Amino acid sequence: MRLKNKSNAKTAETRKKRLLSMLEQQGLSIYEHLDKGRFPQFVIPSRSVSNIVYDKKIRQYILGSASAVRSSRNMSQLRSYTQLAWLAFFVNRLVREGKSSTLRDIYYSSQAFSIDFEDQPESDNIIVDLEAVLTSPREEFHIFPEERSSVFGDLTIEYTVPGYEGKRMNLSDHPDGYLIGPSLSSAELVDTSAELVIAIEKGGLFTRFVEEKVHKKFKAIIVDTAGQAPRSTRNLLRRLNNEMGLPVVILADGDVYGEHIAMVIKSGSANAAHLRELTVPDAKWLGVWATDIEKYKLPTIPMTESDIKRIYDLQKDPRYQEGNWKKQLEVFLKLKRKAELEAFSKYGLTNITDKYLPAKLEESKSF
Amino acid sequence: MEISLSKEVFSQISPSEFFYRNRDLAGFSNPTRSLYTSVREFVENALDACDHRKILPDIHLSIKAVDPEQADPKHYILTVKDNGPGIDPEHIPLAFGTVLYGSKFGLKQARGMFGLGATMAILYGQITTNKPVTVKSCSDGKSLDEFVMLLDIQKNKPVIQKHTTKEASKTGLTVSIVLEGDYSKAGSKIRDYVYQTSLITPYASITFEDPAGEKFHYARIVKDMPRPPTVIKPHPHGIDVETIRRMITDTHYQIPAIDNKMIDKVKKELGLKKNLSPKEILERAQKRWSDISKPVRTVISVMSFLNIDFEGLQKIRIDDIDVANKTITYWDFGESQSHSVELSPDSPYYKQIASTVQGDTLLTFLTKRFQRVGPTTAEKFCEFAKFKPDKRIGSMTNEELVKLADALQKFEEFLSPDPSCLAPLGEEPLSKGIMKFFNPEFAAVWQRNASAYSGFPFVVEMGIAYGGDIPPSGLKVYRFANRIPLLYDEGSDVVLKIVNETEWTRYKIKGDPPLVIVSHICSTRIPYKTVGKENVADRPEIERELKNALQYLARKLAVHMSRQGAADMAKKRANLYSKYVPLIAQFATELAGKKKEPNYNQLIRMGSEIEEQV
Repeated sequence: MRLKNKSNAKTAETRKKRLLSMLEQQGLSIYEHLDKGRFPQFVIPSRSVSNIVYDKKIRQYILGSASAVRSSRNMSQLRSYTQLAWLAFFVNRLVREGKSSTLRDIYYSSQAFSIDFEDQPESDNIIVDLEAVLTSPREEFHIFPEERSSVFGDLTIEYTVPGYEGKRMNLSDHPDGYLIGPSLSSAELVDTSAELVIAIEKGGLFTRFVEEKVHKKFKAIIVDTAGQAPRSTRNLLRRLNNEMGLPVVILADGDVYGEHIAMVIKSGSANAAHLRELTVPDAKWLGVWATDIEKYKLPTIPMTESDIKRIYDLQKDPRYQEGNWKKQLEVFLKLKRKAELEAFSKYGLTNITDKYLPAKLEESKSF
Repeated sequence: MEISLSKEVFSQISPSEFFYRNRDLAGFSNPTRSLYTSVREFVENALDACDHRKILPDIHLSIKAVDPEQADPKHYILTVKDNGPGIDPEHIPLAFGTVLYGSKFGLKQARGMFGLGATMAILYGQITTNKPVTVKSCSDGKSLDEFVMLLDIQKNKPVIQKHTTKEASKTGLTVSIVLEGDYSKAGSKIRDYVYQTSLITPYASITFEDPAGEKFHYARIVKDMPRPPTVIKPHPHGIDVETIRRMITDTHYQIPAIDNKMIDKVKKELGLKKNLSPKEILERAQKRWSDISKPVRTVISVMSFLNIDFEGLQKIRIDDIDVANKTITYWDFGESQSHSVELSPDSPYYKQIASTVQGDTLLTFLTKRFQRVGPTTAEKFCEFAKFKPDKRIGSMTNEELVKLADALQKFEEFLSPDPSCLAPLGEEPLSKGIMKFFNPEFAAVWQRNASAYSGFPFVVEMGIAYGGDIPPSGLKVYRFANRIPLLYDEGSDVVLKIVNETEWTRYKIKGDPPLVIVSHICSTRIPYKTVGKENVADRPEIERELKNALQYLARKLAVHMSRQGAADMAKKRANLYSKYVPLIAQFATELAGKKKEPNYNQLIRMGSEIEEQV
């Protein structure tokens, strides 16, 4: 049994307190400004491309020092200033009352307070603004996207959501896996017998892995990222790695998008450069590599033009300038063909779990 | 004799022939267009007559169906009544009963040209309905003459059916015709015409009663008449060979008609009471030569060659003076035969006769008969055209006349035409008309200085109006030329071209603005594209003036729009801060964990007052 690190005890509770304190500070500042006849303002770290830089030390994209002021003094910003103030107010209620919301729900809730968002993208943007102001992911505001990914394996959690406080649950009890939703995200991680986390890109293979008892054979927690991993999933992967000390490996399709899914879990995305604690710097990309396509004689399909363009784009990314990441991009470009995870079924339905996975896990010990 | 006879025939048959063949050109192509054109001709004649005498026009127009039950096209009674000077009873039959009778010659701005249109309408009415025209006129403010007459098309003569006279108290003219028309189709154009005519004639009161009995009344908006146009001499650039030929013909000082009246004049100037011998008469004349008038000098010169006294002079008729062959031919009534006398160049009276017959020198002709040509310019011109300044214009050959006309067109040192013959409406009446008609939120007018194209002076005046009662249905252009609304063929008009070429967004005008443009071109000759006189051709000079006027007004509008914009902005600010600051306060209070809301009124006030940040 691997027990959780004591120094991280009650991390969910700590983070909540920190967040509520920041919200109160913002509230007090605005209150005083209004009372003294001064125009309140928010300072928002700039998320423009020129202010997104790659930090080699913490191995993720971060925001530079540039920031923008959203002032109630400026008439053209007054509306979005008010929207931001409302969101802070609404998040404060959500967090205090332990209620959850979704991006879409926020958009509709605004109408009850005479806050007129033109469309959901506008309210989504304000949510990202608040993330930047408070340097916290929206999941901590109890705001979740609609899409969900799943987790399965021997992991005991303890709920913190109202009505379930203290209740424990083992994530291997249900063979379909568990949705990584608000209650799971806010739960404390208690203990696990697993020694490994396998993140896999596709729901179909996630089910196959459960059926093939990969969690037992490899002592693994299996996570379905459902394509590009949502933030709550990335946060869970980080916590499994950080708090439970489990290594994370990633299996994705044998193409440039698969390679990047692995990279985002490892070192984040430019879109979330204003956020920390979403990355697993030590995560390992198991495959499918471009070199695996030849090595395992996988059936392939030709790349599209946008696939190839994506390779050229990623070649400019600082994270793809060396080692295996760089090499695999070059091989993909040379092959101009790609293979899906399902390609292994050409050699039998269990080929991927019986042959490929053990081989790659073995190989991964050397990189 | 043969020649003069054929001339007579020509001038009698031609007008009606011409009309038959050119109905389309004159605007009488179909019952719809004919009704509209007839209205125009009578209304414009009435307005011109009032303008001419500086009478504030009071015009009543009515159109009544002869049989309202009948379907269009049908017979209508068209009546136009004005309060103008009226016409002398003796002139009425000729004025309304013959084609090509009119007084509008000379170069000045007028609505119609030569007064032909009204007679055309009368002729059209008679052709289509065989009904007479009724004319009621009072020119002295005492008696009213009523004529009912038909036009004898063959003889081009009026046939008076009825003439009555009765007492009256006011001057004025009423013309009433019966004609075939189609009001169901022409109605909207006629109503537009009356509406727009009232706009450009704000000093007139106009009433229109339509066939259904509905009255459209446009009251007088201004009480001052615009300055009337003056008749001026032509500008050299606006002249062709035919015009020159005519000018030269009437420049010839005619040998004066020698009648008793003339003989008395000669006697008076010489200070004679009784008859003298030819020799004594000449002696007397020599002494007073510098004091006596030109016609008298000519008569005395003739007497010297014929060697006769006053008694002799009464018995003869001068038939021809042929300077080239140096002979004078005269008819002796007493002897009933023709005589020729030699015209000796040695005689001191030869020059007097020769110059009378040959006309002025070119230099004198140019300075006397054209506007804005002084002796210096005339001399320069002669040099340019390679004519001797003292060339007698009466002695010019056809070739020389063509050369002269050509040179007049090409010589560039003539001053630009005199605009005093133009009668723009003026900025104030135009502005008042626009304010009254559209009740706009903003209006501006501008009258450009006179300019000229091809020797014809013109003035552009323009008005712009925005907002107020103007519906936001896009830009509307009202086009006028010489105070006539132009309603047809809008698309090909130069004004429309200029308006459409304007980038309105530069003047802060977007979408379908509540915008009206009133354009008025005045000229002694409007360059219409078609004979129908509905659209103005794009002469570069006119285009430039229109463009300048429009740009000036559009800039003024833009200033108004920015001011309006700033005021709107301040209002918007106030609204925004009143809306959002209380919300912010509400959110901040709960966030900060306070119970009482902050005092934010000061901030709302400050927010409303901040200058716009650029």
